[in-house]
Parts: sequence; C-alpha cells; structure tokens
Amino acid sequence: MLRHDRGIVLRSYSFGEADRIVVLLSPHNGKLRTVAKGVRKTKSRIGGRLESFIDVDLVLYEGRNLDIINQVSIRNTHAGMRSELDRVTAASTMAEGVDAVAQEDEPSVALFELLSVGLSVLDTGPAHPDLVTAFLLQLAAVIGLAPSLDVCAGCGRDTGLDRFSFGAGGVVCESCRPDGAVRLRRGLTAYLSQLAGSDLHSLAPADDEFSGEAMGVVRRFMEFHLERRFSSLAVLGS
Amino acid sequence: MYEGPLQRLIDELSRLPGIGHKSAQRIAFHLLSIEDTDARRLGHSILDLRDQIGHCTRCFNVTANEECAICLDARRDESVVCVVERPQDIVVIERTNEYRGRYHVLGGSLSPIQGIGPDQLRIPELRRRVEEEQIREFIIATNPTMEGDATAMYLAREFKPLGIMVSRLASGLPVGGDLDYADELTLGRALVGRSEM
Repeated sequence: MLRHDRGIVLRSYSFGEADRIVVLLSPHNGKLRTVAKGVRKTKSRIGGRLESFIDVDLVLYEGRNLDIINQVSIRNTHAGMRSELDRVTAASTMAEGVDAVAQEDEPSVALFELLSVGLSVLDTGPAHPDLVTAFLLQLAAVIGLAPSLDVCAGCGRDTGLDRFSFGAGGVVCESCRPDGAVRLRRGLTAYLSQLAGSDLHSLAPADDEFSGEAMGVVRRFMEFHLERRFSSLAVLGS
Repeated sequence: MYEGPLQRLIDELSRLPGIGHKSAQRIAFHLLSIEDTDARRLGHSILDLRDQIGHCTRCFNVTANEECAICLDARRDESVVCVVERPQDIVVIERTNEYRGRYHVLGGSLSPIQGIGPDQLRIPELRRRVEEEQIREFIIATNPTMEGDATAMYLAREFKPLGIMVSRLASGLPVGGDLDYADELTLGRALVGRSEM
C-alpha cells in the first residue's frame, strides 16, 4: 500500500548491490528506516534527492521489513552548508543527536522543527561557534532532558550553584553535590541558560571565554544521558 | 539441512555479499555437478587470492607485488595523483583512457556521523607521498555524496596550503539521461559547473 510522508534525511548506508538504507526523521511518524532501490547507480532518478540533511516529500510502499521509497521530491536541499566542512560537521552532530533520540512510529513535530531550523541556520552562513551547543541544549529540552541551570537539581535552591552534575541533571548546591560534580567557571551556567532559550537564527555573539567550555559541558551531559559518544564531534577534533 | 561439507559450503556462500540461502544452495549444487578440475581451480583461485594479493605500498591499489603496475609504469605522470575511495574506482577511471597520472586509494571517505575521520583513512600516507614525491596536483575522485564532498573539502583544506593544486571531478547530468528527470542538486551543480562551447 502506498502512503505519503515527509522527512529530513539523517543518514544512509549502502545495502546490497546498488541500494541504500535511508534513515529519515518524519514529523508525523518519527524515525523512518527505508530502502531506496538502485540509488547508487549514476542514472538513478532519486539518488541525488536522498543525500544527508535534505528535506523531502516521500511516497513509500510497505515492504516486508522496511518501507521502500517509490517517489521523492525535494522541499529543501540545504545545499549551502555542503560547501564548508565545519558546517557539514555541525549538521552531522545535529543529525546524530536527533537520530539518537527519535523513536519509530512516534509523532516528532517539535524534534523535526528543531532540526529543520538548525539546518536552515547552517544553510545561510558560517556556523556560529555556539550553534551546536544551543541546538543540543534545545534537543535535550524537547525530549524532557533539559539540564537544570537556574536552580539546584537536587533541592531547588537558587544560590551557591557553582558545580554541575551530569548524573543529577544540572547545577547543584554544596549540600546536594554528588561525587563527580564538576566546578564550573563563574558565569557559565548563565551563558548556558541563555543559549538554551535563544532563537537559533539570532544567537548573541559568542564569548570566547565560555564558548569552548559550554560545548564541553553540554557534550558530556548529552553523552552521559544518551549513553553514546558523538562520533561527529570526535572525528574532526571539535 | 544437508550433510557435512555440503551444508558447510552453503553456510559459507550465504555469508558472501548479495547471496542469500537459496542462491548459496544453487551454487553449492552446481559445484557438486561440475568437473573435479574446475572445482579445484576455483578453490585454488580463492586460496591464491588470499595468499598473493595485497596492497601497493605506495598507492594502496590491490596488487600481487610490492608496488602495483600503475606505480611501476615510468610512462605515467607522477606529478598528478587521482585520489579515490576504493581500488575498484581505479579500474573505472582507467577504462576512460583519459587519465595518465597515478592514484592514491583512501580506503573510504570521511563520515562524521559514522565516526570515520582522517586517521581512519590513508590521509597520513598521502601526506607522506607529498613530502617524498614531486606531486603538484590532486584530482579528487571521491563519490559525489555528502561524505565524498566532505573528504574533498578536507583534502583541499589540508593540501592547498602546501602548494598542491586540488581539483574535484565535475558533477552533473549523466550522458543519455533526460533533463526533466534530473534532481535539483545535480542540475544545480551542472549549472554551476557548465562549460563554454
């Protein structure tokens, strides 16, 4: 049976002689794992439409295990970002984060919107140094994992919060501090809080003093809770 | 389930790419029916492949010697190196009869999302070749995919400052195809890379 859907390509990998398994995020059906037949052949009519990060409309028909892509039309190629390695790496981290949290057969409108906005920002210009950090913080919020940045994750008090616990889920006061809580540079939690609430299209200029450390904290926080490493960040030594 | 060696062969054949259980069974019964000498020749070919074929120490093409025939051919232009993902890509480019330089096989392409970085590819070896050989140009022939493009951008960023001219294979419409079937990305690239008549 044929059905229509929409999705952003998160990743794909070779399958069989000339096919690819294409993993997409659909706003209505969450993570879609599909087969695109013959797309590795140069004369394939749909291969170029199923590259990573492209936003597409799909016609699918039900296969035995995976849905098979029958038709594809492009909504947005996000072609601008492909001209710069740093932007491709940032987009890969976004897609990797979304891939880690998206579930199959589960509406994911907020997740889709967040990814769509993140990719559009990358498409229009050089990657802002804090874009991926802000994206990951907002991704955590969408799935209900947002770190507590304004009050103690243990008792709720709002003073003396100079440590961050990955396990406890945010900043902690001295009396709630579990083993392994790290001391943060003064002002970093406010910086993180601002990124978590910012529009990705209009992030404030990055502060060199906080930018790198903010990324490190958010990356460790996400890796701790998702129980996986971000390969895309490790690859190019970001 | 068949007895001993027959079932073992079916199991082994089923592990090969693109061969399911049914095909494996058909091949196994075919091998059972052919001449003894033909079956032994096939067996020896597989053993010889494993014993004799390795990678060229210079370009990492497959070869039965220390260096491949292309690297040993003095008539080829050693100042131009075509960078490909896999040894099979060399054969495809050789078939065009348009290229007379040498090659370098990366062994894949950069894929941030799969955790494949420069150190997992033969990029350090390429850097060593630049130091040791008189290379002035790279033609990057990685696949026209996001990963292939990322690899090309990385190589350009690393090697252009060393004075190497870095070019990328053109991307566009396939010969014999209809324009109205072309996707936006491919057609866009064909427009950007159009050539003067």
